[in-house]
Amino acid sequence: MSMEIEILLKMLVFPGGLTLIALGLLYEYIDRKLMARFQNRIGPRFLQPLADAVKLLAKEEVVPQGVIPIFFVSLPILALAGALTAGLYVPMAGFAPAFSLPGDLIIVIFLLGLLTLSIGLAGANTADRFSILGATRTLTQLFSYEAPFLLALLCPAILADTWQIDMVHQSVLGRVWLALPLFIGFFVAVIGLMGKLELAPFDAPEAESEIVAGALTEYSGRGLALFRLGKNVELVVGLTLIAAFYLGGLANPLEFLLKTLGLLVVVAALQALFARLRIDQTVGMWWRIGALLALAQLLIVVILKGVIL
Amino acid sequence: MSNIPAGLPKPWTNMLNGLKTWARVNSPWAIHFNSGSCNGCDIEILATLTPRFDVERFGIKLQGSPRHADVLICTGPVTTQARDRLKRVYDQMPEPKFVIAVGSCATSGGVFQGCYNVAGGIDQVIPVNAYIPGCPPRPEAIIDGVVKLLGSLQEKKPEVKK
Repeated sequence: MSMEIEILLKMLVFPGGLTLIALGLLYEYIDRKLMARFQNRIGPRFLQPLADAVKLLAKEEVVPQGVIPIFFVSLPILALAGALTAGLYVPMAGFAPAFSLPGDLIIVIFLLGLLTLSIGLAGANTADRFSILGATRTLTQLFSYEAPFLLALLCPAILADTWQIDMVHQSVLGRVWLALPLFIGFFVAVIGLMGKLELAPFDAPEAESEIVAGALTEYSGRGLALFRLGKNVELVVGLTLIAAFYLGGLANPLEFLLKTLGLLVVVAALQALFARLRIDQTVGMWWRIGALLALAQLLIVVILKGVIL
Repeated sequence: MSNIPAGLPKPWTNMLNGLKTWARVNSPWAIHFNSGSCNGCDIEILATLTPRFDVERFGIKLQGSPRHADVLICTGPVTTQARDRLKRVYDQMPEPKFVIAVGSCATSGGVFQGCYNVAGGIDQVIPVNAYIPGCPPRPEAIIDGVVKLLGSLQEKKPEVKK
């Protein structure tokens, strides 16, 4: 009985569920505030993301004509659930993952992709032209960054000889930061995370000046709130994963905060620096440069490992 | 619209209602619609959204989709051609929704009042919660109007007449 309660607590309170959502809102605030300061603005107040989420949850949800209602209602839940589940397998706040099994790196990458897939399907489900255009762009972009991102996260895993996140994390703890020798992989992983989250310059799928709000144009109230929360959670999980693999591991909560927030500053600065890429530029850049860089990094890792060990 | 369960004890209901009001007051997402304006007010609204005035301080964000918006910011008199579109945009917004009429024309029809192709001010077509006069109103006036509208939500008075 106590075992079951422990598992429930792990899933709903810490490190999953509430903690992840609270961290997600905090990181969204920091991201928006940093962006505002970079643009010479004052920026949002501290509880702004919470107010946005509560307001959206309390709003009417319009189910438009021409959708399959069951998909329209269930896809946001699936998206948030996927992101929250991914959080259970990463060393959140520097503690050991709540659940760990061989090969969970693949599971986490799949669960993080589930959010993008849900957004794409949600857009394709509605009859609105902007949604469909946004969905096409979302899914096209998914095919471009997913492989390089996976390859970039695979490099530390190959060095550690395991595909289990916890074991990789243990193997890099206290060593020299992998971001220094494997800087190409680190670079691809950070840019890949920005692509996954559709942050600028990869925000063509939700380009508000051309296609309204992309795949989520028809979503109001609860559905939009859940998709937004899902993205925030994915930001936290992605930053944790990259910091755990490439920045010398997360030994304690303080190190977790410092390293993930440091990464967030880099991500926010990149967002403020670059203008939006066209969808063909995004895809071309990922396959011509991103995938090649990731492959080169993987080759270097494999050869070095064969020579030294 | 209320989605709070009816069976809850009174203090809980009050607390949840307070939370809802707080969230609404602090996160008004806006959509901008021009139903026949001369663009003067639109330029002032764009100026309001620039970093100089930075309305994200109040949680105001300009949204592209009416489905995401809480506040419909209208400019210009309603021409007979724009009438149906204005009505449709208003109907597409989810409850609770608020309308702000910006500028003299949106308030009353302005100099276009009585024209053969003009239906009148915004309130001839959809209910308006706040009027911001001026030709065009300055960004400070627009921010003041939005803040007064939000303040009226807290006092539970639905309409502000300025």
